[in-house]
Amino acid sequence: MASYLCGIDIGGTFTDCVIVDGAGAVTTAKAPSTPHDFARGVQDALKAASGKLDLELDELCSEITMLSHGTTVGTNAIIQKRGAKVGLITTRGHNDVIHIMRGSRGLTGNEIRLVVHIPESQKPDPIIPKRLIEGVSERVDCFGKVIVKLNEEEAEAAIRRLLEKDVEAIAVCFLWSFLAPQHEARVKEMIADIAPNMFVTTSHELVPKWGEYERTAAVALNAYIGPLTTGYIAGVASDVEGLGYHQPLQITQCAGGTISVNRAMSAPLLTLDSGPVAGVTGSQYAGGLMGYDNIITTDMGGTSFDVGIIHDGKPAFSYTSLVHQYAYYLSKVDIQTIGAGGGSKAWIDETSGMLRVGPESAGAAPGPACYGRGGDIATVTDADLLLGYLDAENFAGGSLTLDRAAAEAAIRKIADPLGLSQLEAAAGIVKIAEFQMADLIRKVTIQKGFDPRDFVLFAFGGAGPVHAGVFAKELGVSKVIVPQRETASVWCAFGAAAADVLHVHERVNMMRSPFDVVELNNVLGELENRAKAELTADEILPERQHLRFALDMRHKGQINEVEVEISGSSLAEVDLPKLRDAFVGQYERQYGQGASLPGARLEIVTFRCRAAADTAKPRLTRADKMTATIDGAALRPARLVFWTEYSETIDTQVFNGEKLAPGNGVSGPAIVETADTTVVLHPEQTLAVDAFGNFELTLAASK
Amino acid sequence: MPRISQITDTTFDGINNPYVPKKDLDISPSLKLHREWDETLDPVTYEVIRHNLWNINEEHGATIQRISGSPVAMFALDLNPSILTEDAEFVYFGPYMQYMSGVTDTQVKWILEYRSDNPGIKPGDMFLANDPWVGAAHQMDVMLICPVFHGDKLFCWITNCLHQYDIGGITPGSFCPAAESAFDEGILIPPVKIVENDVVRKDIEALYLRSSRKPEMVALDFRAQLAGNMTAKTRIKALIDRYGAKTVKSVMKKVIDNSEAAFLSKLKKIPDGVWRDRTYVEACRPGDRRTHRVQIALTKKGDKLIFDNEGTAPQDGAMNATYSGWRGSVMVAINELLSWDQYFAVGGALRHIEFDPVPGTLNCADFPASVSTAPTQSMEISLYPAYNIISKMLYSDEELRQDIMGIGGTSQWPTTIFRGIDQWGERYGYILIDPIGGSIGAFAQGDGINTGGQARTPIGQLPNVEHNEQLFPLLFLYRKELPDSGGAGKFRGGLSAESCFIPHNTDFITQDTLSSGNAIPTSTGMMGGYPSTTNAYTFIRESDIFQRMKESRLIEDSSEVAGNPQHLELRQENFVQNSADVYAVRWSGGGGFGDPLQRDIERIVHDLEHLNITPKAAREIFGAVLDENEQVDVAATEENRNKIRKERLERLKNGQVPRDSHAGETAFPAGDNLAVYGSGDTARWGCAHCTADLGPIGENFKDACLRDDRPVSDSNPLVGDPAVFIDDAVNFRLFYCPSCGNQIDNEIAVTSDAVLRDIELTV
Repeated sequence: MASYLCGIDIGGTFTDCVIVDGAGAVTTAKAPSTPHDFARGVQDALKAASGKLDLELDELCSEITMLSHGTTVGTNAIIQKRGAKVGLITTRGHNDVIHIMRGSRGLTGNEIRLVVHIPESQKPDPIIPKRLIEGVSERVDCFGKVIVKLNEEEAEAAIRRLLEKDVEAIAVCFLWSFLAPQHEARVKEMIADIAPNMFVTTSHELVPKWGEYERTAAVALNAYIGPLTTGYIAGVASDVEGLGYHQPLQITQCAGGTISVNRAMSAPLLTLDSGPVAGVTGSQYAGGLMGYDNIITTDMGGTSFDVGIIHDGKPAFSYTSLVHQYAYYLSKVDIQTIGAGGGSKAWIDETSGMLRVGPESAGAAPGPACYGRGGDIATVTDADLLLGYLDAENFAGGSLTLDRAAAEAAIRKIADPLGLSQLEAAAGIVKIAEFQMADLIRKVTIQKGFDPRDFVLFAFGGAGPVHAGVFAKELGVSKVIVPQRETASVWCAFGAAAADVLHVHERVNMMRSPFDVVELNNVLGELENRAKAELTADEILPERQHLRFALDMRHKGQINEVEVEISGSSLAEVDLPKLRDAFVGQYERQYGQGASLPGARLEIVTFRCRAAADTAKPRLTRADKMTATIDGAALRPARLVFWTEYSETIDTQVFNGEKLAPGNGVSGPAIVETADTTVVLHPEQTLAVDAFGNFELTLAASK
Repeated sequence: MPRISQITDTTFDGINNPYVPKKDLDISPSLKLHREWDETLDPVTYEVIRHNLWNINEEHGATIQRISGSPVAMFALDLNPSILTEDAEFVYFGPYMQYMSGVTDTQVKWILEYRSDNPGIKPGDMFLANDPWVGAAHQMDVMLICPVFHGDKLFCWITNCLHQYDIGGITPGSFCPAAESAFDEGILIPPVKIVENDVVRKDIEALYLRSSRKPEMVALDFRAQLAGNMTAKTRIKALIDRYGAKTVKSVMKKVIDNSEAAFLSKLKKIPDGVWRDRTYVEACRPGDRRTHRVQIALTKKGDKLIFDNEGTAPQDGAMNATYSGWRGSVMVAINELLSWDQYFAVGGALRHIEFDPVPGTLNCADFPASVSTAPTQSMEISLYPAYNIISKMLYSDEELRQDIMGIGGTSQWPTTIFRGIDQWGERYGYILIDPIGGSIGAFAQGDGINTGGQARTPIGQLPNVEHNEQLFPLLFLYRKELPDSGGAGKFRGGLSAESCFIPHNTDFITQDTLSSGNAIPTSTGMMGGYPSTTNAYTFIRESDIFQRMKESRLIEDSSEVAGNPQHLELRQENFVQNSADVYAVRWSGGGGFGDPLQRDIERIVHDLEHLNITPKAAREIFGAVLDENEQVDVAATEENRNKIRKERLERLKNGQVPRDSHAGETAFPAGDNLAVYGSGDTARWGCAHCTADLGPIGENFKDACLRDDRPVSDSNPLVGDPAVFIDDAVNFRLFYCPSCGNQIDNEIAVTSDAVLRDIELTV
């Protein structure tokens, strides 16, 4: 009997499915997403895959050993403001936490236009209005000591008032509850007694971290998407079970692994952003097989450009996320986004008379002018077409014929006022977009203390490989990998199939140096027990459990924290100087030489345990034979392509990437097309097909 | 008193008088400036380099934050990086603390004039500076200024400014509320070369650190500033290597030229005129019960703007600002209202702006006035009214009207300076940073933003209560937004908030207050909008809070505890907060826009539902009629509002009678309630609601209105009796159309001050 690994990822337009068999053969399938009932799309995608494998749907499902699934139901509920009516119970006197937010109109600084133009900005519509927020007397202090006991009468009255107002979910967040959870736990119990079917979420369970705003925002959002997401996940779980899948369904999460259905249903917040994160997980796994430890992942789609970092084989994390202007705590793989995609619009700045690109996007509808869906504003994709990067007849595997005349008309509206030729304008649009992407990657890497030149770059997403050759070179990156085997555009689903089970357990307990080893080990031990218990509850045997421990530390009195890994759940006195050295080393790597305060007292803020269980992995197979000979079928008719390097249009060789074999090499200038994407190979760049069938671009470093 | 432009016998060199740069700088001929650029630039290269320059400045700011890691840099974002041309015009100025812009170019110009000969300006140099008479808001804002050379020519400048924890002076933290003069305050450093040939001069660094109570933190911040400059310098040099000096310089000049063009195209849409605003500050030193008038005027003549402070009180006590502090304050409003579309590339606009204050006044003080508290008082009160006058200037143009913003929250900072032994047994001293939660004033098309931050720092960060409680021995009883704290209006100002705490895990806390705007509202409204709440300190000695905690009955308002309320003065030093003493600090909110009786009824319904206003305010200020369930009765409200307007006509007879109506179209709107009819010398004011004539354009329209003098406590439900703090009587003057009874405008004034002529137009 075959055993299949299966990853399913729901996107805005398509639901992608990847199946890997025991021999490592990859099958991909797509079905249209079904926003009214996403579970349908999942079934359709599985059905399409079973067709490709010549299997009946139930036959396939019963032979899947692990099915992992990424969902966007929660994200959509937030975007469409269709979440639940949520009540919040909090410490009396602190009802307004999520209304006050953290100042700055709920902006982070990335939305620069809103930052500088105050009249355009607003705080988000409250996900919980003030009248649904109840303050209850109880208080814990910064040492975790209960100084005011929970007033249960007030709590019960508060719960009943919320029920009278027909709330569909209740979030509970008390001050300092991460140090003393008993009051939240008691309120949860009381709600369960009064309203047993209510979706309840408490901050000490979801995000036991320091900072009541980000904690409250987390439970508020969790409750907001709770009823919808749990309904959906329960539906999919029972659907696939009905189709014959008899293993536990795994749900991909934003920390880069998967979680059980039960966990996803109590913490649906973990599913936000899990799709793009799975892309990073896929890169991490595939990169590991290819021998790359340091990877910049880039995903360029129609409207946005996402960047992730993998360093030393591990993805970079962020601990605060942002949705709908709400900052919330959650440990997740860090992904930074700018609005630069194929759909980014070109425009002329009225006062300067100069060319600008983005951040506004034509989106999918009307999309770029060349899509012929009524768009008449020039976009990056239109410029790509005019330059000859894209083939009007063979775009996205021939699924869409591009309208060259429409693209030309749109570009002309930019070119004429600037006194440029169409090609100059198109090249200018592309260059500006590429440099913006380079700037974002630069920012992401440098802010984490990395030098982009130490990385290889993975380019995926339909539009990524068109531009990667330039933005990677601009960063001094010398190697770009364009994943193949049909996986490039379903990378995220592939990531879901490659993911480990992962639970991140955190506990904030602020300790100052000199540290008390016993106290420290107590916290670590408690985390360890919690982690093991949860994995065991997921029916994972001890030998498959892998626990990694880390501490978030800082200089006392300062704000910047760095994560320092420690070797296990128990430290000895002699380890303490090493801990300080590790902190200093990590701090200076991240914040710069000399940034650490010599001799300053240190503070541990967060204790963290990443509890993983390895799962069966797709086994990618290497080609047994490498050949330099390019099959004649890989040659496509040459076409005219404008190369900025030569400032002219040259008849350029075009290759059918699907027909290139491992060992094949191509030198730029050239174009390599596949069903999913187009690789633009600039002069002095070379492309080699590696043993896995991926494209490996070698660039001359920029000065 | 004469303005700077009228004084000819004084050198404004930054020693006894403020430094005011001349148009042509006196630079040593030994310093060669890189002045090669050309007008023709291809649009793609321009955009690529422009984007790069913006990112370089951003990376510069991020570098400082990362290395400093201090709460000042991370929460208050009390810093700003910038890039200036060789001759000190702004290319880019960061989105952090905005008032630092006005102190940046003056510092650089001073260095060009006074340091280019001796010790000279050379590649690898950096200058340290914090002298407020040369250009700094107050002593704690220390700048590190770095010339960037191409070959032997000065190509451009990279600078940054970062607020320091402590730089000396008689009060820890260097805000010195009781200083007699600058000699009681932190060290003064006219620009001094601290980096030479890319090496830090240890002797100068030691001199700098010696006066601080926190030398290790100042040293780390210095390294952060150094690294920020090095990062930006390295990247600018890389740009030059790649694209050539001439091209990069051409982009810089074009960024400025573009911002100039954008600025001029705005001025073209606006009539010439003068716009004024008048506010007051209180308590310039402990025991002071006077009010100190602050006035600002904006004159627009063709393509020129002139700002002055004529009418402002003389320098006094420990509340002053210098010329550059005042200029920096006004530039905040210029950046945000007039240069936002250029992302604060204000250099081009500055070519057409004159700053012409009267020296010797409290926001243009001569040496050696005390200026350490400038940013919390004299500068705030110079800055926020500038929003009002620029907004009024912009109103006539429909498009520019979208950029209008009223005075925002924390328009005076109610400072809570505390110190003692913390819960870890260590000495601490800081200020309560909560008022950075601020509030944004109303716009011409919508309500302000509740606790939207201080407008002068577009990206600040309010600490969590849990942050405060971890850092300091405090227990917060509540932190909440206050209904009615936003100024009423057709569009309501944003709500502000109040924080309330007791000492915790310590025996007591030693406290100072430092505030103003507790008697007279400083977040005034615009075009008929009402003011926000004042600042307020509430202090209740020996309260029953412990009993309540024991019984598990916490509070949501300080009025719930029993105890002995104690009046706190606005500069009260060294008072002790014991463990059962409840202390609440409220900060001012956003001013309102337009007449509250014009507020859309749907918005009142929304405000009641979302607890933005109380039913009492809905009735008394917005003229709403509520039923027994406190729901708005729409028809009755319309009727009631008409009744109120009619009642005004009957009650107020100060010599005014209903006036003729204007026929025909208005020439242009001059305010939300005010229109201009006709042109030239015969132009006249008119009521925007009923077209009643309000007098000739050459006179004050307020003189033609019905005037209603009311106690200032009528202007906002949270405003109390000013007599608690000040001796001067104050009133809230409302001006109504004598024909229809609609409110045209209002002002808050010390009763002895004449009615302000806030608009003069040349039609």
